[in-house]
Amino acid sequence: MSAEARFDIRLPIGALFSLLGIVLTVYGVMTRSDPQLYARSENIVINFWWGLIMVVFGALMLFFGRRAKERPLHSVAGEETEKREHRIGLERES
Amino acid sequence: MTHLTTIDYVLMLVYFAVVLVVGWMLRRSTKTSTDFFLSGRSIPSWVAGLAFISANLGAQEVIGMGASGAKYGISTAHFYWIGAIPAMVFVGLFMMPFYYGSRARSVPEYLKLRFDEKTRSLNAISFAVMTIMSSGISMYAMGKLLNLLLGWSFDISMIVAALIVLAYIFLGGLTSAIYNEVLQFFLIVFGFAPLVFLGLRSAGGWAGLKTKLAEVAVGRGFEAGAMTHAWQYMGNSSQNPIGVEWFGLAMGLGFVLSFGYWCTDFLVVQRAMASENMAAARRTPLIAAIPKVFFPFLVILPGMIALAVDWHAPGTGGALAIAGGQGIVPPKIDPVTGAALLDQAGHVVLDYDLSVPMMLLRFFPSGMLGLGLTALMASFMSGMAGNVTAFNTVWTYDIYQSHIRKGASDEHYLWMGRAATVFGIALSIAAAYVAVSFNNILDLLQLVFAFVNAPLFATFALGMFWKRTTGHGAFIGLLAGTVAAAIHHGISLAAGAVPGVKGGYFGAHIIYRSELGQTFWTAIAAWVTCFVVTIVVSLMTRPRPDDELRGLVYSLTPKPSEGNVVWYERPTVIAVIVLAIALALNIIFF
Repeated sequence: MSAEARFDIRLPIGALFSLLGIVLTVYGVMTRSDPQLYARSENIVINFWWGLIMVVFGALMLFFGRRAKERPLHSVAGEETEKREHRIGLERES
Repeated sequence: MTHLTTIDYVLMLVYFAVVLVVGWMLRRSTKTSTDFFLSGRSIPSWVAGLAFISANLGAQEVIGMGASGAKYGISTAHFYWIGAIPAMVFVGLFMMPFYYGSRARSVPEYLKLRFDEKTRSLNAISFAVMTIMSSGISMYAMGKLLNLLLGWSFDISMIVAALIVLAYIFLGGLTSAIYNEVLQFFLIVFGFAPLVFLGLRSAGGWAGLKTKLAEVAVGRGFEAGAMTHAWQYMGNSSQNPIGVEWFGLAMGLGFVLSFGYWCTDFLVVQRAMASENMAAARRTPLIAAIPKVFFPFLVILPGMIALAVDWHAPGTGGALAIAGGQGIVPPKIDPVTGAALLDQAGHVVLDYDLSVPMMLLRFFPSGMLGLGLTALMASFMSGMAGNVTAFNTVWTYDIYQSHIRKGASDEHYLWMGRAATVFGIALSIAAAYVAVSFNNILDLLQLVFAFVNAPLFATFALGMFWKRTTGHGAFIGLLAGTVAAAIHHGISLAAGAVPGVKGGYFGAHIIYRSELGQTFWTAIAAWVTCFVVTIVVSLMTRPRPDDELRGLVYSLTPKPSEGNVVWYERPTVIAVIVLAIALALNIIFF
């Protein structure tokens, strides 16, 4: 068992949604006066608004992901499974 | 064909980059085979829960449920509200204690512990072949769709997607697959939610949608409410678009097929087995059920909306409108003549599988379109990844370790798991190309596996809850159930179908109103046969002593305690809440 820990999954989720959200929001601001583009989305500048919501979601994920304490790589249950493997000879002891 | 702009490509690239970075960062925490195949059993339950539904959120769900929405209307929600949800609650409350508590590393391994080697091998081999096939079909569907919509090369889009999946599973194993499935889950929610919002707005809300779908229903020969009521027209199979009566629906879909899939399929159960402890494992399917109960609004509604809106908005691809379609759902095109296909009655056959992709093109401007397409690709990839991780585990533990090489070192099995990932993906690509040139072979194989799967839940239910069940009983019962499915399918036919792959090869003695009706009753026949034969054979063979069955059978296992956790973390509490929501939705959309 190693003392290392795996990173919290909320960090990559936060990173992905913040990035996607920023790209969409900026694009939305740049294209907001293009009625042709937004005719199909009921005249809502959907890129801007939805991008903004994604940024907020991403930021929340980053916040909670950073606050979370690191989790151990193996759980007690995981180690018991390995012991069982060795006991019944499925795997050679190393 | 639609042209994407730079912004759409930027969004796709951001997603693929993050996916690969996650795989790369997880490579260091993957040192033993338990890490690779079971994530070291250290995944928190909310992560496992989201992966549990995401592994199943492949092409079949996103494209298929939208297609069914356009075909059957809100009745499609039965796949969730009486199908998946009760089954997920059942596996969490009653079956997880045996899967997780037995320390089995896979579902086939549980069968080995509970019954014997032959039952395990039967399950393992059919499962392994099936995962490769479904992953191949998922890739084929993606390549075809991207080619049709965007004009991308079929080969390149398929191979690039396969390489990305290969890279992240090879590096980080199940953890990497689970992390990416959670990413994909959120991406699909964020990609499709605005589609439903814009679509409903354009159709005039639920009331407007109801009015428009009433016309559609009448046009198809049903009563006005048939597309927007889930139960009202279920009394008679001729009155609802699914073509099934309530009993066949509740037993065939609700009980046999859904419990068979959600309770015994290693693809989903593997996610729960990776949980950090028993309580978390039991919570996994229950947590998964909470978003799942609302999924009909995300994946079925777009298909229904597609019938109710049109292309008449400035700037939308008017060129995409094809004469003869309904709403924005195009007709199926005869590849030879280029004209719309007609059925025997002279009605245009709609290409329902295009409902959801057409919705994306209709409502999303550049930018959002990139996000929507990324979500679509993510769903194809999570379907593929789920299959590949289940395959490499079953191959390594249940086939390689038990039949080819037992007692090797842990490094060897870890190596084998990575090798299995590579050849699993290579075989999937091969299966995708088989699908290109011999479509019927895959239809036939899928049919065979439907026969193998249908009786499975009878075997598990008896094995877990009746300690007298024997290995011979289970094995012979499974075979008998499979044969019963094949026979029932052979003597029945859906109205209007031609005998052959669709059934009726022993003569069409029973005629169902629809293929789904036939499928549901085939499953019922298989289940009942397996149940009865397993009991009879078990009573004639020698049972295993109680001592060997501790932790594997209900009556010989201490009841799992709910633990000292806050009320909202208790499995029974979550189960009651989820079932209450499902019941309420059934009533609202009655």
